[in-house]
Amino acid sequence: MIALRPVIGGRELANVVGVASGTFGYGSEYERHLDLSGIGALYTKAVTMHPRPGNDVPRIVETPAGLLNSIGLANVGRERFVVEKLPGFASMPCAVIANVAADFPEEYAEVVAYLDANDPTGALWGYEINVSCPNVKAGGVALGSNASEVERTTRLVRTATDRPLIVKLTPNVTDITQIARAAEAGGADAVSCINTVVGMVIDTARRRPVLPAGTGGLSGPAILPIGVAAVYRVSRAVSIPVIGMGGIMTTDDAIQYLMAGASAIQVGTANFVDPRIATRMAAEIERFAIDAGVDSIEGFHSLLEPSG
Amino acid sequence: MPLFTARVLANQEVAHDYYQLDFSWISDAPRPVPGQFLTVRVGSSGVPLLRRPFAFSDAAGERASMIYWRRGDATRAIAGYQPGDAIDVMGPLGVAFPEPTDGAVPVLIAGGVGVGPILFLANALAARAPYPILLIGARSAQGLPRVRVDGRVQLRTATDDGSAGYAGTVIDLLDRTLDITAGDVELYLCGPNPMLRAGHDLAARHGIPAWVSMEQTMGCAVGACMGCAIHLTGVERYARVCTEGPVFRSTDVDWERL
Ligand SMILES: Cc1cc2nc3c(=O)[nH]c(=O)nc-3n(C[C@H](O)[C@H](O)[C@H](O)COP(=O)(O)OP(=O)(O)OC[C@H]3O[C@@H](n4cnc5c(N)ncnc54)[C@H](O)[C@@H]3O)c2cc1C
Ligand SMILES: Cc1cc2nc3c(=O)[nH]c(=O)nc-3n(C[C@H](O)[C@H](O)[C@H](O)COP(=O)(O)O)c2cc1C
Ligand code: FES
Repeated sequence: MIALRPVIGGRELANVVGVASGTFGYGSEYERHLDLSGIGALYTKAVTMHPRPGNDVPRIVETPAGLLNSIGLANVGRERFVVEKLPGFASMPCAVIANVAADFPEEYAEVVAYLDANDPTGALWGYEINVSCPNVKAGGVALGSNASEVERTTRLVRTATDRPLIVKLTPNVTDITQIARAAEAGGADAVSCINTVVGMVIDTARRRPVLPAGTGGLSGPAILPIGVAAVYRVSRAVSIPVIGMGGIMTTDDAIQYLMAGASAIQVGTANFVDPRIATRMAAEIERFAIDAGVDSIEGFHSLLEPSG
Repeated sequence: MPLFTARVLANQEVAHDYYQLDFSWISDAPRPVPGQFLTVRVGSSGVPLLRRPFAFSDAAGERASMIYWRRGDATRAIAGYQPGDAIDVMGPLGVAFPEPTDGAVPVLIAGGVGVGPILFLANALAARAPYPILLIGARSAQGLPRVRVDGRVQLRTATDDGSAGYAGTVIDLLDRTLDITAGDVELYLCGPNPMLRAGHDLAARHGIPAWVSMEQTMGCAVGACMGCAIHLTGVERYARVCTEGPVFRSTDVDWERL
């Protein structure tokens, strides 16, 4: 049995497959019916300083092979997160990584410091800093498309915790490698990409966008090639691990990411289609590795023939 | 949230563009009750991508049913299912219609895709007095479903064009029904939002409680994604249709902001 265990900030995850933030809640929604021990990491719905009600409705619309959402980081806020969600994480059979969102750099650090202080037993494996949400006015993409702000945010959060720190990148930028380098310079242990791609659907009969916010974030199979390309470029620009996501529906999709340079992957929208998918994929990736004679994550990277 | 592969038992047209799908239900999954729904995965490619939610229209033993409107990609595909075909189902999901208060006459109102859950409720409530009154509305006679209704249910129909039953909307019919029904009444509605809203207004005017089953586009259907929110009137502002609903007290729904 080979063990494909990503190492991030000196800590190991059980396998390469995670469930992406915002698509698996806090795990409790699935815990009773699924065996979560086969999942490498569960990334929570974003947690923010204060509770957020979320955006106006409808918040979801299907597109060709995609899902456009404008949830607006609806969540219970850091205090209720600690009281209501954290105790459940301690008994979760997989690593739980808190996805953190905020309006400005100092606030990210404050939320992370608060979570760290209120989690003495280490129920949280690490943090994923969401500087890439397309559906909020402050923080989010606005911050995540500015390299120096990303670096400053990462540095501030870095001083707030010793746990593994992942910075989640947006594809809605001119050059994602520049932002990835900024996160690395700020002290990130890994970067994850991609968050959703800005998109719009117009209801021509009503002559207005379907989502009241106008635009939303596109996920699902439609964005798979965008994510793979991002991981390919980012993994060649930084020396920290890259966690790949965007449009993964099948094991082959996941292997594309691993070959492109990802050290781990996340499954998002596919959980809505089949909540068992992450566990199954983890097993299938191991089987693929055995068949391909790959015994490490780096082995996947070197499977990719040089192009051109 | 049991997730399993069911078998299609029957798939028959019950009205113009409306079908009833009967499928196997595994015995160790919870028994669906009226108001609850399931989601169906259609196809294995990315189009259509999301599972589709449908209310149960019946469930007994190792068998369950839904009534659906053939309207888009997913429901067109479902309309093509043959007995014996496998379907990927998840459920039962959501909360049930609450029992009527003792002695109150349940008046059930269905339009469009609301027929399934209301029919399920009507047949369940037929087990004891006071027996339910069931009002079904459609645009014309061919839109009225040919379905099994327990003999103790008082069924009345309405068509917009007057081709069958009462000539007018099902809400007009409800208005008349309320005028001639003595004693306490409790309303249960499922159908298009304008119908639900008119039902709510009528209930408010008569000072009677009303339960509505709401729809919203769903992602996860288990409360995890916050995608299926609707506006509420209370301090919480939003509720998830998939887990806090789909059944709501009509006074809790913010009808101005659907
Ligand atoms: C709790 C609940 C119970 C429902 N019960 C029934 C029922 O008993 N019978 C029935 O015919 N229909 C029911 N619906 C509506 C049903 O889900 C839609 O008719 C179906 O999704 C249409 O899919 P389509 O691909 O055929 O059409 P599309 O052309 O894709 O969509 C047509 C419309 O269906 C709705 N819809 C599309 N995708 C979704 C989604 N992921 N989640 C929710 N709604 C969506 C939207 O309003 C859309 O405009 C219910 C919906 C909900 C939320
Ligand atoms: C409904 C929904 C909610 C999301 N919420 C968050 C979030 O709170 N924080 C975050 O960093 N990403 C969030 N995302 C982005 C996903 O984590 C992921 O990056 C993106 O969906 C691409 O992956 P996919 O195509 O596999 O879904 C959300 C995505 C969806 C579809
Ligand atoms: S559909 Fe995901 S919370 Fe209701």
